[in-house]
Amino acid sequence: MTINGIDLFDFLTAILATGLLRAVPLVLASLGDVFAQKAGLLNLGIEGMMLAGCFFGFYAAYHTESVPLGLLAGMAAGLALALLFAVLTVHLRVDQVLVGLAITIFAAGLTGYLFRDLFGGQNVSASVRPMTIRIPLLADIPIIGKALFDRQLLFYIAWLLVPIFAFVLNRTRFGLNVRAVGENPFAADAAGVNVIQVRYLAMSLAGIMAGFAGAFLAVADLKIFTIGMTVGQGFIALAITMIGGWSPWKIAFAAILFGMLNALGDSLQIIGVNVRTEFIGMFPYIGIMIAMIVLARRTSVPAALAVPYARGQR
Amino acid sequence: MGHEIASPPAPLPVGRGEIERLTCLGDSRPHCHSERSEESLRGDEVTGMRERKEKHVSTNLGEVLHCEPLVSTWGTSVGTTDDMTDGTATTQERAMVQPIVSMREIDKRFGPVRANDKVSLTLYPGEIHAVLGENGAGKTTLMNILSGMYQPDGGTIELDGKPITIGSPSEALAHGIGTVYQHFTLVPNLSVIENVVLGTKTGFVLNLSKGEQRLKEVLTEFELNTDPNVEVRHLSIGQRQRVEIIKVLMRGTRVLLLDEPTSVLTPTEVEGLFRILRRLREEGVSVVIITHKLEEALDVSDRVTILRGGKNVGELGPDDIASAGRAGARQRIVETMFGGMPAAAETFQQHVATGKTLLELSGVSAIGDRGEIAIRELSIQLRAGEIYGIAGVDGNGQKELGEIIAGQRKTTTGRLALDGTDYTNAGVATLSRAGVGYITDDRLGEGVVPGMSVAQNAALKTINRSPFSKGFWLDRKAIEANANTLIEQFSVRTPSAQTKITLLSGGNIQKLMLARELAMDPRVIVCNKPTYGLDLKTAQFVLQTLRQEADSGKAVLLISSELDEILEISDRIGVIYNGEIVETFERAQVDIETVGRLMLSGRAAVAGSAA
Ligand SMILES: Nc1ncnc2c1ncn2[C@@H]1O[C@H](COP(=O)(O)OP(=O)(O)OP(=O)(O)O)[C@@H](O)[C@H]1O
Ligand SMILES: [Mg+2]
Repeated sequence: MTINGIDLFDFLTAILATGLLRAVPLVLASLGDVFAQKAGLLNLGIEGMMLAGCFFGFYAAYHTESVPLGLLAGMAAGLALALLFAVLTVHLRVDQVLVGLAITIFAAGLTGYLFRDLFGGQNVSASVRPMTIRIPLLADIPIIGKALFDRQLLFYIAWLLVPIFAFVLNRTRFGLNVRAVGENPFAADAAGVNVIQVRYLAMSLAGIMAGFAGAFLAVADLKIFTIGMTVGQGFIALAITMIGGWSPWKIAFAAILFGMLNALGDSLQIIGVNVRTEFIGMFPYIGIMIAMIVLARRTSVPAALAVPYARGQR
Repeated sequence: MGHEIASPPAPLPVGRGEIERLTCLGDSRPHCHSERSEESLRGDEVTGMRERKEKHVSTNLGEVLHCEPLVSTWGTSVGTTDDMTDGTATTQERAMVQPIVSMREIDKRFGPVRANDKVSLTLYPGEIHAVLGENGAGKTTLMNILSGMYQPDGGTIELDGKPITIGSPSEALAHGIGTVYQHFTLVPNLSVIENVVLGTKTGFVLNLSKGEQRLKEVLTEFELNTDPNVEVRHLSIGQRQRVEIIKVLMRGTRVLLLDEPTSVLTPTEVEGLFRILRRLREEGVSVVIITHKLEEALDVSDRVTILRGGKNVGELGPDDIASAGRAGARQRIVETMFGGMPAAAETFQQHVATGKTLLELSGVSAIGDRGEIAIRELSIQLRAGEIYGIAGVDGNGQKELGEIIAGQRKTTTGRLALDGTDYTNAGVATLSRAGVGYITDDRLGEGVVPGMSVAQNAALKTINRSPFSKGFWLDRKAIEANANTLIEQFSVRTPSAQTKITLLSGGNIQKLMLARELAMDPRVIVCNKPTYGLDLKTAQFVLQTLRQEADSGKAVLLISSELDEILEISDRIGVIYNGEIVETFERAQVDIETVGRLMLSGRAAVAGSAA
């Protein structure tokens, strides 16, 4: 069966494959952000951290032609901004919204400047070759086979992180500390948890993951850098964290849904459905808004989200 | 002092062993099993037991639960972490009754306020020690210094005769000092067991199922039949408090600090708490308890330290209490607490009001927060000039009743009328303008805005009216002047009107709230637990103010779980049970026993006749 000359199976495979790929940076950034938010940190700098991850990841990969080095550089960039965020909000107790926005704006400016300065604003692509793994037999299943089991290594790693993050959050001491600190930092402190330390760790994790997400985008997926290339994906990851109720599993689900809607839009254009592209491109964002509105009433935001903590202050 | 502390008794078969085993649940620090040279004989046994435990914990609980208590006293069972000095009270020293904790000349300033001014506190092993004092005397501050929450500006702290510094709550816990704070410190959306394990340091991966069975045993031991996996927010206040106590005991606590633990409990729960405290005392735990209820302090404590204005003003040891007799001791404490004889407690003129009906609820029902029916077809008529007391055990619809009249909660059936006009579900603003004043029991939650100053809070409800508001602008001077008047009238203790409200002591926040509501000159005053957390004198002041308001023609609805204060000032009393007023009495006809039975069971039938 074909639609406008495109095989239906291929069509579905394409949607699935693109959707899952689009979801990867989102799920990476969201997984880290769960820890930040659960620890009481509202990280509006996530967009900037992701963008910094894109640029520095790309820069390193361009020069070393190595995917792992690119990823490491991206994560380091995310981590550096996260530490800046932590120093300002956790230690100095500056307003989190302010600091987050400042970091996002700063990262946009910095990466734009560096890109023009170092690459002359020319779109060059990094000659990297991400490792792909084809899982025998499974990859031969129609429709899902190629979309799920014939992908690059990082694709598998990203999805494997979902159960790992769920485990760390729910079943480890660190996860317990994070959950307590974001809900009632005073209680956590009284129980002997080092609130400041936990917040630093959670923020670092969030920064690393945002940097990872950015680097994945620029290094492993597109292999190019363009100014402002994240186009709000950091903020979308932040929204997905909330929509997913701070549960890694649900977050993965929400990210996939968003990715699929995105891919569907693209595919409809390809098969020539006669709708304005801008209109189709709006789909996923409308989806996010509806989900936020519907879920906003049911979710319980960590009680100490965006609230600084200082012992002995009442 | 000359107070003989009996050497800690032989291990109790259940209690102390239970807690001892617990100590190791979330926490495998070496001190759990530390033992003294004098007990070196048992050393092997102890080590052996530990191994057994670790191997069979999940499979052979019976063995673990029925093994001998590991060590015979708290002092020995609970030391400190390796690098910290262990409490080395030898037998010899113990005979001389060495204090377990002595705080000397502790200073703590908050800006201009000297919250603690050379305060000393000596705590002996196995005693219950009450710290008393009026609101703002510095009790909580002193406890927070001992629990590591605050750092003192001066003074020394000794534990078992060795000077220590307590840099953080986790250091205090490591020293065996556990605290149940004035405002609870459980994380509501974590389970009981997660709360208990929180902050302990065993490995990266949590193994909750391992400790679950043992925690269950201990919960039962503390008369708490809850599932360890249930989230704490589903527990009642009394249950949460027990979880708090268990939580700190499991950390190897031998000094237990309780900051106003009874304010939130029903009389039965208070009894239960005291049973626990007495048992802990027998097991050698030292307890510091802060309370505003003198009778309770005398009931449960061996020694009393009294603070006033941040200074020590008196201490009564067991001998003093014994020789002065209960009444005498009470007298002395009250005198020292308030600096001189307080005015003899006023006896209030109660009467049957004949004024017109100002507030009328007829057949009102409402749903509670958890979707249950909180108020069932309840009817009340409140007349001008009377105080109507609502007596009842907490959680029988009192809060919801207050909220309905204040307009904060919607009714599902029935009618609410003010002076004959219908105001059913009219909303907070309308009811407030119509003359309803509401004094909530949730001071910090809904009574005041925590981030704002005293002045702003004082003007909160009328901020958009003259004189505070001139068109678009706020008149800061008028707001401050208003605050200063209220501060003066109600003698609110605050450094200034610009001080952040949360920095005041609980009693002073309450006074400000009362002042604010009364300044609006309401016709109907509804107050829920207006004396909660207040010292004797302030509580008396509040009751007196309410009586005066009633006498000047207002209608007052006094909701309280303290039967005493209801009896003291009410003209009529209704007993609330399960969302219904089950019986109403004129003050003169009240039979306390009947009221008590009604409060507990909703029925007046004599218990004996049922048998
Ligand atoms: N963190 C703080 N910052 C500023 N002032 C404080 C702080 N903690 C306490 N104070 C002030 O120190 C004084 C003593 O307060 P504290 O809470 O110790 O009193 P308290 O005896 O416990 O009173 P209450 O019986 O009302 O609980 C009060 O005047 C209070 O306003
Ligand atoms: Mg206090």
